[in-house]
Amino acid sequence: MTTQSVAIANHRFAFGYYRQTFWNWLIGTAFFLGGLGAGLFVLALLTDHTAGMLVGYLIVVVGKNTAHLLFLGRPERFWRAAMRPDRSWIARGIWAMGFFAVSGLILLLPRVLGPAWQLYGWLNGAATAVAVLSAIVIMFYDGFVMNSSPGVAFWRTRLLPLLLLMYATLGGTTLSLTIRELRGEAIPGFLPNLEHGLLVVNFVLLAVYLARMNRSLPAARETLRQWLSGPYARVFFGLVLLVGLLATLLLSVVQSRVQATGLVLLIAACELTGDFTLVMVLLKSGLFPRQTALTYSARGI
Amino acid sequence: MARYGMVIDLKRCIGCNSCTLACKQENGTPEGVHFARVVTREVGTYPATKRTFLPVLCNHCSDAPCAEACPTGATYIRADGIVMVDREKCIGCRACNVACPYMNRHFVAKGLLMGYGTDGLTPYEAIKFLDFEEGTNIKCTLCAPRVDQGLEPACVITCPTDARIFGDVEDPNGKLQRLVKDRKGWTLSPEYNTKPNVWYLDE
Repeated sequence: MTTQSVAIANHRFAFGYYRQTFWNWLIGTAFFLGGLGAGLFVLALLTDHTAGMLVGYLIVVVGKNTAHLLFLGRPERFWRAAMRPDRSWIARGIWAMGFFAVSGLILLLPRVLGPAWQLYGWLNGAATAVAVLSAIVIMFYDGFVMNSSPGVAFWRTRLLPLLLLMYATLGGTTLSLTIRELRGEAIPGFLPNLEHGLLVVNFVLLAVYLARMNRSLPAARETLRQWLSGPYARVFFGLVLLVGLLATLLLSVVQSRVQATGLVLLIAACELTGDFTLVMVLLKSGLFPRQTALTYSARGI
Repeated sequence: MARYGMVIDLKRCIGCNSCTLACKQENGTPEGVHFARVVTREVGTYPATKRTFLPVLCNHCSDAPCAEACPTGATYIRADGIVMVDREKCIGCRACNVACPYMNRHFVAKGLLMGYGTDGLTPYEAIKFLDFEEGTNIKCTLCAPRVDQGLEPACVITCPTDARIFGDVEDPNGKLQRLVKDRKGWTLSPEYNTKPNVWYLDE
C-alpha cells in the first residue's frame, strides 16, 4: 500500500498543494466588472454610442470600485493603494481608474447634460485619449496583478493579461450589441463580425494558455489537471467553453439572421456567464506549491 | 550589517512542534494562525514507511515577493533582512498573501480577534491581540523585538534538538554559511526566485 499524500492539503500542517483562498468572489467580481465596463466604454466611445459609454462607465466606477472596497480589510485606507505605481500593478490600476473616472465624466457630461458642458479644442481630445488609454489599462491590469504574484504558478504567464484583455473586449462587444438591440439603435456592421472573431480568438488563446501551463511548474500542471479532468472540469468545459464561447457563437450567428430581442439577451447571458466563470475559476483553482524536503522532491515523491 | 536568517537541520528535527507552540506563545497569534509550523507527511510504501517533518516559517526572502506586491509599502524589508509589516499602512488587499509561494502570510479576518473561548478575551489575549488589527496582514517577524535586544527568536531557543540555527546568513565565517556549504543546504521552492534566507539541511 502506498502512502502518498493527497494532492490538496486540507490544512496548513499537511503536505500537499495549498489552495488559493485569499482572493475570493469579490475580487473576481471586481476584475470581471472592470474588464467588461472598460471594454464596453472603449467600444462605445469609438463608435460614438452614448448609452454604451454611460453603462460602461457606471459598471467600472460604481460596480468595480464597490466590489474592491467591499473586499478590502481596511477600506477607509483605500487611497494608500495608489502609493507605489512604480512597483505595484494594483497601484497602477488605481491610477488608471482615477484617470478613467475623471476623463470619462468629462466626455459623458456634454452627451448627457447638453453641449454647455462640452470642452473644446485640445482639452476634449486630451480627455478622449486619457479615457481610452486608462480604460485599456483597466481591461488588462488585473492580469498583471495576478501575473506578478509568483506564489500561484498557474498565473505566471504573460498570456494572462492578454487573455483578460481579449475577454474584456469580447464582453464589451457583446454588451454593446445587446444595448443597441434593446434600444432599437443601428448596429455598426463590423460589431457582429468582431464578436464572432473574438469568440474564436479567445478559444484559441485559452487553448494556448492551457498548453503553456502544461509545460510550467508542478502546481500549474496540477491546476491544469483539475481544469481538464478534476473538480473544475464540468465548470470549465460546460460554462466557459460550451456556454461562454460555443453557444454564444452559434446564437450570435443565428441572431445575425433572425434579429430577435430575446435571443440577444440569451447571447449576453451566455457570454457573460462564460466570462465571469473563467475569472472565478482562475482565482479559485490557483495553487501554491508543495513544501517538501529536497530529497523527496528529487525522487519525485 | 548582519542579514538575519536561519538554518533548519532536518536530521535533528523530531516533529515535536515545540517551535510552533513557542511562536504561538511569543506572538500571541489568533486562532488558526501559525507563524511557525511543522508540515508532516508520510513517505514510502508499506511496510517501509516513515514520517518526515518540515518546519516552515517566513523565509524573509531577499527578493520578497510580498514586499514587491504590496501597493502601499506596508510590507518592507529592514536593513537586517527581516521582512516586516507596518499595520498602519496595510489596507488588507491580500496581494502579499497571494504573492508568497510559501503560504507564510496571514490575514486577520473579521472576528478573528474575538478569542478562542466564548467568555471574551483572556488577559493574555487582551494584551497580545493589541499587536493585531482586523483587516490587516500579519507575519513572522523573526521575533524582531527579541533580536533587537540581542536574543534569538523563540522558536530557536525552544527547539529541544537544536535543529534551528539563527544568525547572519552573509557572514562567510559564520555558522550558517559553514553548515550550508558543508552539508549542501537548500531552500524551499527555489524555482520561484525569491532568494529565501531560511536554509534546510537534509536528513
